[in-house]
Amino acid sequence: MEYRENEKIKFTLRDDNILQTECFPNTIMNLEDGKESTRISAEMVNYEPLPLLCDLTNVVRMSQDCRKHFAGPEHAETFSKAALIVTNPISKIIGNFFLGLNKPIKPTKLFTSKEEGLKWLKS
Amino acid sequence: MTDFSDDKRLNAILDMIGRIASLDFTEMLEVSEENDMVDAISLGLNMLSEELNSQVVDKKILHEVNAKLEKFAYTVAHDLKSPLNSQAGLIKLLELTLNPDPNSDIDECITKLKRMNEKMKSLVEGVLSYSLAQSKAIEKEEVDLKELVEEVIEIDNFNEKADIEIRNELPVVFFNRTGATQIVRNLLDNAIKYSNKTRCVINIESEEKNKHYEIRFIDNGPGIPPEYQEKIFQLFNQIDPSLKTDSVGIGLATIKSIIEASGGKIWLNSKQGEGSTFIFTINKK
Repeated sequence: MEYRENEKIKFTLRDDNILQTECFPNTIMNLEDGKESTRISAEMVNYEPLPLLCDLTNVVRMSQDCRKHFAGPEHAETFSKAALIVTNPISKIIGNFFLGLNKPIKPTKLFTSKEEGLKWLKS
Repeated sequence: MTDFSDDKRLNAILDMIGRIASLDFTEMLEVSEENDMVDAISLGLNMLSEELNSQVVDKKILHEVNAKLEKFAYTVAHDLKSPLNSQAGLIKLLELTLNPDPNSDIDECITKLKRMNEKMKSLVEGVLSYSLAQSKAIEKEEVDLKELVEEVIEIDNFNEKADIEIRNELPVVFFNRTGATQIVRNLLDNAIKYSNKTRCVINIESEEKNKHYEIRFIDNGPGIPPEYQEKIFQLFNQIDPSLKTDSVGIGLATIKSIIEASGGKIWLNSKQGEGSTFIFTINKK
């Protein structure tokens, strides 16, 4: 297991080769944060795409260009698929916008629990 | 201090919906730290407003760029007409002066020059027609399609080149007369130009649907391979540019532009070796 964190996000490369991210409470994600997150993740997965378990629970805003970045090719080179965990109304709406409007390149799904997300990532 | 009472928040949401409806994207809703349903709705509306705003801006920029391009194409094509006409005159003068023996090298060169000049003129005319296609959807009048088709056949002597039959009553439509003429002329001309039969046969028919008329031009030509059936409606796209020297790949794009600007559609049913059916729709009033 490998762990890193920055001002906004905690990154964990799990033993089952899934990268798990979780934000600190009341996180506002902008494009710079998104790019920084992708850079750190890419280093941790050693530039070989792995599944991502991303907990959006503590995210309170995500800018338009940040969502575009997460939906785009750079992020898809880092992650093979993504399970987004949404457990409250705000994270649910961010997740739904991301899926509906930004249409991420890599397979991406919303889940209300980590267990369900992990099950899908391993399938 | 910000007032986050429920009534205030709901009123703010109603105002926001009103602003979005009138395409005013200047203001955003405040989102509290409650992380409740009202916050989620507020955040959703903020994101929706942001997305709509960028799409409206993108569309506006696209319209401006398109308008500039169309104006540019029109100006270039218009300015090229005059030197091309002079060139045609000079070629004619050259032919008269040299009076070459038929089948001589000079005669062949002059014939090639004439053909190239004609093709350039067709191209320029095509670009001009295409540039004006959008405006042809604006001024509409009652057009008797049967009368119009017969008029085009007579003026262009299409009956000498093909057997054309109007199978049933064609409707009277509300359409731009010049645009409709261009559609009929281009479809008949294409069928004849690309015919591989000793006698080209074209049948024209119509069908009344709920909200529109469907008009079909059916020919007995070589048919169009599936991979070209969408491409032929794009500007400067031809199945085989070398086959027809006077074809420049603008006619069908112009037709498509005229039809779509009037709210209609055009498509094609065709099997190789079994002819083609061009179908377009014209909305009822």
